[in-house]
Amino acid sequence: MVVRALGQAGLLESCRYADVRLGIHEVKYAHAENGKARGMGEDRSISFGIRVLAGEMSAWGFYGQPIGEVESNPKNFSKILTLGISRAYARAIANANKKAEFKPFAPSLTDVKLAKIDACKDTMYAIFDDDPGTIPVKEIFTLCTKISGEMRDVHQDVQYASVDAKTGMHRELFCSTEGACIDQSYALTQGTVAVVAQKPGGIPETCHDYLGDLRGWEVLNARNVYKQSLADFAFMRTHETLELTEAELLPATNDAVVVVTNPHFNALLVHEIIGHPTEADRALKLETAYAGRSWLWRDLHDNELGKQIASPLLTAYSDPSINGYGHYKYDAEGTPAKRVTLIENGILREFMNGREYAAILDHPPNGSMRATESHAVPLVRMTNTVVAHGNKPPAEIVAEVKDGYFIVNHRIPSISESRENFRISAQKVYKIESGKITKLYRQGGITADSKDFLMNIDAVGNDFSVFPIPDCGKGQPMQIMRVGNGGPTLRSKAKLTGRREL
Amino acid sequence: MIDTEQLKTCVRNGIDFVKKQRGVVDAEIFASWNEHITVRLNYTSDIPCNGVQEPKSTQVSGIGLLAVFKTGKETKVGFGSSSNTITPQGITEAFDKAKRNKIYDPDFYSLPEPVGKSVLENYHDPAVMEIRDEAIVDLGWRGLKGAITEYNQKQFNKSIIIGGDITIRKEHMAIASTKGMNDWDESTVLTANITSMIEMEKVKGTGWNTSTHISCFSPEEAGRESAESAIRTRGGDRISSGTYDVIFGKQPVTDLFANIVIPALSLSSINTSDTPFLGKLGQKISSELLTVYDDGAIKGAIGSKKISCEGIPTGRTDLIHNGFLVGFLANNYLSKKWNNKIASFVPRNGFRFEKGGRNPAIQPRICPTNIVIEGKEEVSVQSLLSKINDGIYIGRIWYTYPINGLAAGDFTTTVIADSYLVKGGKIIKPLRPNTIRINNNITDILNNIIAVSNDKRQTIVWGGEEVVLAPEIAVQGVTLDNISGFIV
Repeated sequence: MVVRALGQAGLLESCRYADVRLGIHEVKYAHAENGKARGMGEDRSISFGIRVLAGEMSAWGFYGQPIGEVESNPKNFSKILTLGISRAYARAIANANKKAEFKPFAPSLTDVKLAKIDACKDTMYAIFDDDPGTIPVKEIFTLCTKISGEMRDVHQDVQYASVDAKTGMHRELFCSTEGACIDQSYALTQGTVAVVAQKPGGIPETCHDYLGDLRGWEVLNARNVYKQSLADFAFMRTHETLELTEAELLPATNDAVVVVTNPHFNALLVHEIIGHPTEADRALKLETAYAGRSWLWRDLHDNELGKQIASPLLTAYSDPSINGYGHYKYDAEGTPAKRVTLIENGILREFMNGREYAAILDHPPNGSMRATESHAVPLVRMTNTVVAHGNKPPAEIVAEVKDGYFIVNHRIPSISESRENFRISAQKVYKIESGKITKLYRQGGITADSKDFLMNIDAVGNDFSVFPIPDCGKGQPMQIMRVGNGGPTLRSKAKLTGRREL
Repeated sequence: MIDTEQLKTCVRNGIDFVKKQRGVVDAEIFASWNEHITVRLNYTSDIPCNGVQEPKSTQVSGIGLLAVFKTGKETKVGFGSSSNTITPQGITEAFDKAKRNKIYDPDFYSLPEPVGKSVLENYHDPAVMEIRDEAIVDLGWRGLKGAITEYNQKQFNKSIIIGGDITIRKEHMAIASTKGMNDWDESTVLTANITSMIEMEKVKGTGWNTSTHISCFSPEEAGRESAESAIRTRGGDRISSGTYDVIFGKQPVTDLFANIVIPALSLSSINTSDTPFLGKLGQKISSELLTVYDDGAIKGAIGSKKISCEGIPTGRTDLIHNGFLVGFLANNYLSKKWNNKIASFVPRNGFRFEKGGRNPAIQPRICPTNIVIEGKEEVSVQSLLSKINDGIYIGRIWYTYPINGLAAGDFTTTVIADSYLVKGGKIIKPLRPNTIRINNNITDILNNIIAVSNDKRQTIVWGGEEVVLAPEIAVQGVTLDNISGFIV
């Protein structure tokens, strides 16, 4: 049906290209707070998105729509799809006409060109041991209620404990007028815990963290990056949060100090200062109003490609072929996914891109376009974006530090507009004295100019983990995307953030 | 488009159906249709571009059903939804899910009951409901034209970037319940939010325009304003790290309140013990110059609605009055859970905002509408400036987050545009964008307010449905850190 509708689109007078994504999501979920039920359910959603490139001076038009069960019967769906194509086409034509009208005043307005790819036909099946479809929603509900109650009961200073869990299947069909036809499915299971603990009269300490992978229910039974069940993970975070209520606030420093950052902290660090600035749409200024630009690329003739932007010890890549939240075989344009080397021994090598941006940059397309749901327009997105492991054991990286700090587990980021400066808070910060981890501090983190931090890296661990980041916001309207981020233990220099002396 | 009559019929018939089902004590049915249209701008004078990247839209519609069941001695509550189906089959599907997934929730007391009368009637624009694709595309190009014309007239045509979007939201909803709720709402919102740059001069300007009616909507004005601000801030200086007196402009005031203050003034933050204002109701939490309230019934404001997604008429909820904490935003569930434990709260802010509209697939959360910030003795902008001897006017901030969690009150953000150095009460020079990070605690900011301007403007929040009627606010002793020495 989709192929037939696209065939009709191809016959429209000045349609140059069109693609359709049709997605079905099924999910079961539950939520509990402090041992009390809050909700459970099962949802199924179907939606489609249509991109059309049309007009003498070709331009995009997009139409997306979720559809209901009634509309999803073949007769109705065919009608809706045809209507959607005509709406996307009308928008593309109107846009192309305006583009041509404005061209004399704005010479950089250009025909859209798409970098060439093979039109693939393929089917990918979801991978799981415990089929999400066979997990009773009541089992999810019982688990959340039990764990959140037990978290609350750990200590009287636990003020709030909540657990969310969900498991489901996602399937998307991609077809294009170039002849691509790709059917991809994946399972997704995620557990979320939140804890607030507070000593009487003290400042509350909060923790919010996730377990998750593109697998079945086994994810919450220890098949995850932590190798812990959801219950064990929740208790670990509860005990850590309680421990922090006893800790001193981290004093901020005016000067950079030696910091060792653990893989969990580096997941967010890599996300913010390597992943985002190596997205081609940011580099090409498409996100100037919202998510920001990239300090790595000023224009076609002035940029950091081929230049040293990090320590020679640092290599970073984005790889959808490895396990993690950013795993897939084809992106939302049907481009085969591949490992993209972003930084090689400190040299900037490549940006994550889509077909249009690859054509502008004259780079090969590397399959990094995704949309949160089928009815949303695809954007350049991180996949599993990580720092490659090095060869030094993490214990040795710490042992070599005479006077420094161990920055453990990420919390909240705030990044400068072109990703040139960051402040990221940590769940825990320990003092390192003469190679030993000593005093624990809380409510601290680090801040640095991104290039300084990357250039100052003098040790890269032989450990390596990819963590789920479920909530990366980008685009307008904002799309919340899941990505994988991580890497090894790193050592560099940064200022500490925290309590300031008045 | 699914019209409001269809939604009304669906929820009324749905209640009749649900009443007949065994075990049902009470039920509420919400149905909506929403369309979110976005025209994304992308103009780069030195890089091949599209001008308007793509006109696009998506829709959310369906039924959300909350039912209360009596099972033996136990009362259970269940929620079910049916996406994109406004039919009797949709009602059955949603009811079956609610019945199958019912739970015992000791904190659930009862469904909302009808209360008061709505202030707003017929405040939407039928022309927006019917807008055609060509007209949508045209709005985007008008925004772009406003900026390009301003740059060209001032002889700037190299290194220009123009980004942002024109957004149109159309929302229809109806609600009915066994408690006697039977109401509906229709709203339309248009926003233009444009950022433009002369990149080689490292300057950026912001412009925005908002309206509920297309006849009053001017995307070209947003484009022109962004270009004018970028041009005006050329040749900016850095400042050294230190403590400064600061005037926060309308966008920074909006960012600070929308991301840090208002989330902490919601019963959902009380519920999770994650607010610096826990246990402070009735106490002084800010300078006496500050008053803050949420009012969803302001005519012409883009955050306005006739009723909440729980059927409650919108209206004014006082949060901070002359520096004292006097209230929290509430929905039905949390207002009843916390009723009389700390105070009584009117549940005016139960909304299902998600995915660009009133999403029937989720239960109501607590969402702000129009956040109004007022001063006890408001002053002119000139008078506000006169209070700053050696300081900074900050016109736009970026990525404002409660860096150590809401309860700690610590926040950080960077200054990216529209900002100036102030000496002797006068603006003397632009501040170079992207060179300052603000690191402070929100309680210090609120307590150190020294003046609030009398000039307010509806200011948009990225990713939010609310709007802030924001003045400019002068604050003493703000910690600013000089950053990014290697690049700008």
